[in-house]
Amino acid sequence: MNSASTLWKTVKNAMLYLILCVVTFLICFPLIWALSTSLKPKSEIFATPPTLIPHNLTLENYEALLTGRQQYYQAQGAPQNTGTTPAQFFTRWFINSVIVTLGSTLISIAVSTLAAYSLTRFRYWGRSAVPYFSLLGYMVPSIIFVFPLFLMMVRLDLTDSLWSLILGYVCITLPFCMWLMWAFMRSIPIEIEEAALIDGASRYQVFRQIVLPSALPGIIAASIFAMIVSWNDYLFGRVFINSIDNLTLTVGVMLFFEGTHVDWGLLMAASVLMTVPMAILFMALQRHLVAGFGAGAVKG
Amino acid sequence: MHILRHLQSDRAVGLLFIAPFVITALFFMVYPIAEAIRMAFYSYNPLRPDLTAFVGLANFEYIFEDPLFWASFWQATVWTLLSILFQTVFGVGLALLLHRALFGMAFFRGLLLFPYIVPTVVIALIWRWIFNPEIGVVNYSLIASGIIKEPIYWLSTPAMAMASTIMLNVWKYTPFVVICVLARLQSVPLELYDAAKVDGAGTMRRFFDVTLPQLKEVLIVVIVFRTIWTFNKFEEIYLLTKGGPGTSTFNLAVYSFEQSMASLRLGVGAATGVVMMIILLIGSIVYLRVAGFGENEK
Repeated sequence: MNSASTLWKTVKNAMLYLILCVVTFLICFPLIWALSTSLKPKSEIFATPPTLIPHNLTLENYEALLTGRQQYYQAQGAPQNTGTTPAQFFTRWFINSVIVTLGSTLISIAVSTLAAYSLTRFRYWGRSAVPYFSLLGYMVPSIIFVFPLFLMMVRLDLTDSLWSLILGYVCITLPFCMWLMWAFMRSIPIEIEEAALIDGASRYQVFRQIVLPSALPGIIAASIFAMIVSWNDYLFGRVFINSIDNLTLTVGVMLFFEGTHVDWGLLMAASVLMTVPMAILFMALQRHLVAGFGAGAVKG
Repeated sequence: MHILRHLQSDRAVGLLFIAPFVITALFFMVYPIAEAIRMAFYSYNPLRPDLTAFVGLANFEYIFEDPLFWASFWQATVWTLLSILFQTVFGVGLALLLHRALFGMAFFRGLLLFPYIVPTVVIALIWRWIFNPEIGVVNYSLIASGIIKEPIYWLSTPAMAMASTIMLNVWKYTPFVVICVLARLQSVPLELYDAAKVDGAGTMRRFFDVTLPQLKEVLIVVIVFRTIWTFNKFEEIYLLTKGGPGTSTFNLAVYSFEQSMASLRLGVGAATGVVMMIILLIGSIVYLRVAGFGENEK
């Protein structure tokens, strides 16, 4: 009886593992396939039957992106000159994306952390309405305010600059950073701060030495969300930026589809490189991400 | 006297800390949304700003008489309902699977949540590659395993293009449902299951009589939330199909974008945006109702 039930349990667990592995494989398959394609030479990409694990591993696609290859190649390997190629701008776009992502996240986090501290520690008119007003703002999809913002950037003479994107991303990330930081600040006990204030510490000292360290998990969670939203955005980059030099990765990479050739190896390598920064962030800070989801800070 | 001065300066600090937010919010949230509503009542071509004129409700009359607007509306509805249905079913299933206390579960959890952070552009690119009718791995596998005889034109026939965008959406956002359901599952009292077991309830009965009622609340909130968001999605559709073939995968966001960007009718695009906002508002009221705001401060 006892050994039979242990056996049954082992079989059941094995079945669960099997289901789990199949499901995980199916879900991860698109990403695995992209990685595999990006590591194949041209000849193997179009081979039938397709190979999951490349027979001839090559980094030529990555090399082409990172060194800015100037030519298109056809399937047989014959070079063809067609003027500038998107690959030449890849590193530039990558740097642009990093700049606007970090810039907008920094502003959003600084502004929302200060505001959340003020809202939870001071009393003044309208303070309880602000977070809910923020929440409302974060429900509005970006397609609605992208054109008014664009016209505003025209008036501020910021179109086609990375500043327009930084400000635009502040506008989409600030509402939920505000909401999350407010929810987080509210849960930090106020007693230590009061004790420090009574002992003669100034508000600024209290904020820097007591509040900021205890708000750090919230700040990390909000930063991850802000970075993911800014890094992944396509719409603002598409509308705000005209010149090829100032594009971000998301908009730039879609240019690989222009012209007659679609270089799938190159595109998949670009996809992998675009996903890696967020993947590293995600893996390093996964705990906080789940905490952030819990606080309801999900835009998507 | 000293205390009074302290209070005054303290109040100033509080206002100083909130000031950057108020200024940013006024400039970059309140103003653009107000402007978006105002533009809906104007005829506005960005290339001819001199011709800008107040047109009253003409933009709304235009969209309500435009068959493409209504087609976009119904396509968005179908797209949303099917996406949410599959997300919820898969999300609950996966969460139940991941809830088991097995060795290495943290690893699987991490992997299964991964799609959520992949940029939509990247997913769209990968989708175009694996669903390519001639050289894509999906058609190859389906033909090789004998499921289909002829290649399926995933992105160039209306029904299949719709199916592909739904698959993309489900793939990307199921993790969101998983996270929410998983968090709730972890707080279901184990005694309930023990009691059900003693009463002789099988796995299925335990799911329907114990688990599902416990999940009801979180599921309603997740479904309403995701419905609002999915209905207004832009990038998931535009990047994969551009609303095509033809206009068969247009939703209101794509319609608004095309009116503003391709036809340069910013007023018409804005009017579509206002309609989207009204739909959103109705959705939000439903959300606030089911989330129980107002009844008790959470």
